[in-house]
Order: sequence, then C-alpha cells, then structure tokens
Amino acid sequence: MPHLKTAYTKYQNDPSVAFLLISIDEDAKRLQRYLDEMKFPFPVARAVAAQAEQAMGFDNIPATFYVDRSGIVRYQLGGIESHGDSPSRVSWFIDQLKSR
Amino acid sequence: MRSMQTLRVFTTCIVLVAATAAGQTPAREQLARGRAFWDQRLSKSAIAALEVAARDRATAAEAHELLGRIYIFKGWQQEATFPGWHDEPSYRARAIAELKAALAADPTRTSAQEALRMADAFAAADKVDPAPPRDEVKALDAKLESFRTAASAPVDDVVAAIDARAKAQADPAPYFTGAQILIDRGEHDRAIAIAERGVAVSDRFIDENLSAYQMSGKSEGSYARGRATAADLIGWARFLKNDYAGAAAKLDEAARLTEGQDFTNQFHLGELARAQNAPERAREHYLNALSLTGFSGGPPPLRQRATQALAALPRSGSEPSFDAWLEAELSRRREARKAAALKSLVDRPLPKLDVTTIDGRPYDTSSLRGKVLLLTFFASW
Repeated sequence: MPHLKTAYTKYQNDPSVAFLLISIDEDAKRLQRYLDEMKFPFPVARAVAAQAEQAMGFDNIPATFYVDRSGIVRYQLGGIESHGDSPSRVSWFIDQLKSR
Repeated sequence: MRSMQTLRVFTTCIVLVAATAAGQTPAREQLARGRAFWDQRLSKSAIAALEVAARDRATAAEAHELLGRIYIFKGWQQEATFPGWHDEPSYRARAIAELKAALAADPTRTSAQEALRMADAFAAADKVDPAPPRDEVKALDAKLESFRTAASAPVDDVVAAIDARAKAQADPAPYFTGAQILIDRGEHDRAIAIAERGVAVSDRFIDENLSAYQMSGKSEGSYARGRATAADLIGWARFLKNDYAGAAAKLDEAARLTEGQDFTNQFHLGELARAQNAPERAREHYLNALSLTGFSGGPPPLRQRATQALAALPRSGSEPSFDAWLEAELSRRREARKAAALKSLVDRPLPKLDVTTIDGRPYDTSSLRGKVLLLTFFASW
C-alpha cells in the first residue's frame, strides 16, 4: 500500500483524479490501527468481504481497478507477483485514462 | 406434559444422530479424539468430536473449555501458524460463549476460568500477538533438518523423523522437506513415496482449516502450492532415475499448477529438456525461471546454474552479446506476465457495491463521478 501514497503525491491537487481504498476487514480495531499507522492521504471506505468479492469478481487481495471518467473499468490488477505495484506503474494507468 | 415428552424424544434423536455420525463412540473417547485432532491442528475434526463430547454431562466442561481455547486461537492467534492463515474475528464471541458454557457445567474449573480471563483480555486489547511456534514442532523440524547434512545416517532414521514431525502437526511440510532430503541422498523411490503421501496430507490440512484462509483465492493457492511442490519433487526424482517420460508428466503438472511461475520447477524442466536434447524447450524454461524475481526468484546458486546452462545452449539470432540478449528476453517475459494479470471486469461498468465509511455510515460516492478513479480493495491482514 505505501506505493499508492507515493503515486498519489502526483495527483493530490488534480480534481479529475480520485483514489479510494476499500477495506474488507472484519476486525474494525485492527483496521483502525493499520490506518493510524499508514495515514493514507486519500479516503478509505469499508465493504463486506463476501459482497465485494462477488460484485467485483476478485478472489484475492489486494485487487485494484482503474475506472475511466464514464465509469467503465479499464484495467484490473490482482494476485501476488504480478500486482504492478510500483508508483510509476500506477501513474502509467492513470495517465492512460486521463488522456482518453 | 405431552410437549415435554416430545421434546425429550427429539433431544434423544439428535444425540443419537450425532453419536452415529461420529462413529458411536462414548463421550470420553470423543473428547480424547478432539484433543488429539487439535494437537495436530486438524480443526474441523477436532471441533466435530468436541461438540459431541460437550453434549455429555460427564465431559461437557472439558469439551466446552477446549472448544473455547480452539476458538481463542482461531479468533486472535492463528495468523502466523501456516502460510495463508488469518485471524477469524467471527470466532471471538463463540470462544467466550464456549468458556462460559464450560463454567456453567463446572463452576469450579480453574483452567476454564483462566481461559475466559484470557479471552476477555484479548477482546479488550488493541492488539493480540499471533501464537508463537510450538516448541515440540520446532524441535522435530530441527531434527528433520539435521539430516540434510548427516549423509551417513540410516535412511530409516530420516523416515522416522518425517513420521514423528508429521504426527506432531498434520501440515505437509515434513513430507516435502523429507522427500528433498531423500532425493539428495539418492533414495529416489522412497522420496517419491513420501512426496505422494504429502499430497493427501496437504489437501486434508487445508480442508480442515479452510475458513482460516478467508478468501477462496488464498485457499486455492494453498492447495495448488501443496500439489505443485509434490509433483515437482516426484518429477525431479524420476528425472534422476532417468525416467524422462515419467518426469515430464509430473514436472508439467507442477508447471500447470504454478502457472509456469515457480523457479525450481522451471529449472527442472530446463534440465529435463536439455537431457532430452531439446535445446529450444530448454531455453524457454531457463528463461522463464530467470525472469522470476524477488521472493519467487530462486536461490542464487540455482540462478547461476540456469544462466550457465543457457549460455551453453546454441543460440539463434544475431544479438551482439549473450548478456544483451538475455536482458531483452527476460524483460519481454516480465512485461507479458504483467499484461496477463489484467482481467475480468475490464471494459465493463463499475458494479454497484454497498460501501460504508470506517465507522459504518453509508459512503457518499457522488464526488467520484466523472473522475478517473483508482479503486483498491485491501485488508490489514
């Protein structure tokens, strides 16, 4: 998750881009401890794990979706090794969608 | 009066059904079975046996207490026990309920009082550390590991060490470690037999603890890893026996299960292809292996052997140097793997999903409309 904080610095003043983290934690205390530690500069919401997995069709976390201006998912990343979790990779996806 | 009788008949029926399901053994025996299963971390079987024992007045207090202790472990402490396991908060209230039931059955039971105090403290704590590794399991692991370098020890001692460790905790690790030790000693047939037993043990251990994985992707990954580890060990032992066809079947099976992303398995497939005089195929496997990096990148000595084997293979194309060619091939493979990870919801509208704020109020998503959005689902575990 720290890579999202780094990537976000590029877009924090850009009104056309939004980041949203959605936690599927069941244990609210543990989640709060994690958030206190991470101090994410963008919003964090919660969803029920089973509902989120079913609606979004992922079976492992983290699962990342890049959505374009018209609400269409354009990129989806999941799994472990291939997570694409470098800040430059995150901003590559976002810049692709911004330029559409 | 009549309804009272009906109720009693009904209760008797339930107890009979449960006793039949559990093999018609008396409560005391179920309690012992439950304890033994739990010692091996076979959770489902332990819970089933203890639930039967908890219905008999003679064993109720003991059985409820042990159920409570199991649920404490599952709820707060199981995180580091086995790869892929996470705490299950849904068991926390059940832990306290079982311990209260134990004390209802026997208010003087001090061990249940202690367990309940522990559960209450965990419930109030901000953070509970995972259970430390068990000393008896650690000692048996160390004993088995010591045979890696004890080349003169009798093979029967190695097998005995595998069995002793497997008896202490029912996970597949001793079978896989043991099979590797036996391969290193040239005991290929015994290695194959041990690895084959490891497959069934791995599947069962995951079945018995399925809810600890929390997500189907994690449990499926764990099943696949167990089966792939065994298939690779068996395939490699067959290769060393010069049974190339048999080796290919098993090494390919491991490659399917790991989606071609296990370093050792790809290296083994490279060695097999080279022995079979198939340089093209050997090159693909060595390159696949070397394109894996970081945690899945394999140990440096094996990486070096793969690189040397690759350099010795005849090469097509007119690249200026081996190093430049290798770098281009590896980065092409890494990019292809990243592209393959993009999937499923792509080009479809973002589905509707109920989302709340951290403290449980509905989350207003209207401010996100019309923006480029990055959405990441995560958990703190």
